[in-house]
Amino acid sequence: MPRMFWNIAIIVVLLLGGVFIAGTRVQPDAGVVASAPTAPSRVASDPAPLPDHPAPNFALADLDGRIVELNDLRGQVTLINVWATWCPPCRAEMPAIQSVYEQYRDQGFTVLAVNTHEDPDVVTAFMDQHALTFPALLDQDGAVSQTYRASVMPSSFFVDRQGVIRAVYKGPMSRGVIAGTVEQLVQEGE
Amino acid sequence: MYPLIQLGPLNLSSGGVFILLALLLWNWLLSRLATRNATDLSDQVDRLFLAMLAGAIVGGRLWYGIFNWDLYGANLVLFLALRIGDLAWPGALLGGLLAGYLWSLRRGVDFAPLADIVALTLPLPQALASIGMLLSGEAFGAPTNLPWGVPLFGALRHPTQIYVALAALLTLVVLTLLQHRATTTGRSLPPGTLLATYLGLNGLAMLLIEALRADSLLTVGGVRVAQATGLAMMIGTLLWARQNTSPAATPEHSSA
Repeated sequence: MPRMFWNIAIIVVLLLGGVFIAGTRVQPDAGVVASAPTAPSRVASDPAPLPDHPAPNFALADLDGRIVELNDLRGQVTLINVWATWCPPCRAEMPAIQSVYEQYRDQGFTVLAVNTHEDPDVVTAFMDQHALTFPALLDQDGAVSQTYRASVMPSSFFVDRQGVIRAVYKGPMSRGVIAGTVEQLVQEGE
Repeated sequence: MYPLIQLGPLNLSSGGVFILLALLLWNWLLSRLATRNATDLSDQVDRLFLAMLAGAIVGGRLWYGIFNWDLYGANLVLFLALRIGDLAWPGALLGGLLAGYLWSLRRGVDFAPLADIVALTLPLPQALASIGMLLSGEAFGAPTNLPWGVPLFGALRHPTQIYVALAALLTLVVLTLLQHRATTTGRSLPPGTLLATYLGLNGLAMLLIEALRADSLLTVGGVRVAQATGLAMMIGTLLWARQNTSPAATPEHSSA
């Protein structure tokens, strides 16, 4: 096989491969996906785990045993993330949630990481190991994940300052999606 | 999916179990093929296995940690954490091969014929480990409307793990055919041909399948790390072929 053949093959593969890589790269998340700011009249009145519905209230213990109630967080933008330590995509998105939390915490953003059915020691160890500083709540009987119909893990609910769910994600989110949604919601009611 | 296998009081992660099964299979294949093909090395193949295994673990974890730097950079102890899931295939492949190369340098044996045996042993364990990842929901694909989408995380998704397994089996077929043709025609392949072919085909599979994954490790500009690596592996194979199939090097080897 002449050298020329291989040289041409190398150039062709480089070109085609480069074009393919560029064409299938992961685009920075364009546009914000949260539903547009809704007039108060358009918001449904019955609490439901759906966009434009008030977020169903719950009260759960955090890892220090303190009770955290969702309705007490009115006025803050809240990400409710239903997860478990054994769920790979849940683990995968935790660093992104942590970095967005650090970025927007001072503008009134908080995270409630609702852990389903796991031992507090396991959860504590996971949070420490990954240096996650947002509150993890223990949903030991699975009541909250049931109320939120979070059959898919992870499930994420973005709640605005009025306590209304504005975006729902089933499955893992990229950092761009989290940051974009939070950015829009924290700017709304400052 | 089925991330956990309950065995009495034990909760085994299915991904981890399949990786261990794949390692057992790999060890068995390696001993078998080494005994059959390279008789002078059959007694040392277990040591080669351990060296390559160590290289694969170190390489796989380094790769995973470096490209998940926001997680691993914040907590360097994670590089040593006992988590089988946190390994990346390209790092494990390259790390394992590098370790095998260094091992044969130290032993003073020729790596190329050994590497051809290794290449033949890799596809089956790779396919098995990939099926394990399907069960545990790791390395999952992007949503699709195709009829063979698998339900995972609230959407029908490309079964990228099955694509990987199929690509590995196809690769094995190609390697076996190459070897078979060499034996039947009596024209031996340049040493290293099978490994080079394996790396090139694996690179092609990485380049194509990675595009359908929803959890790719990314680098600058949103480029998927595995795709860039796959392309580099393909180029490496072509460079190797240019060097080793030129008429001067192996006059008896004609068309490829």
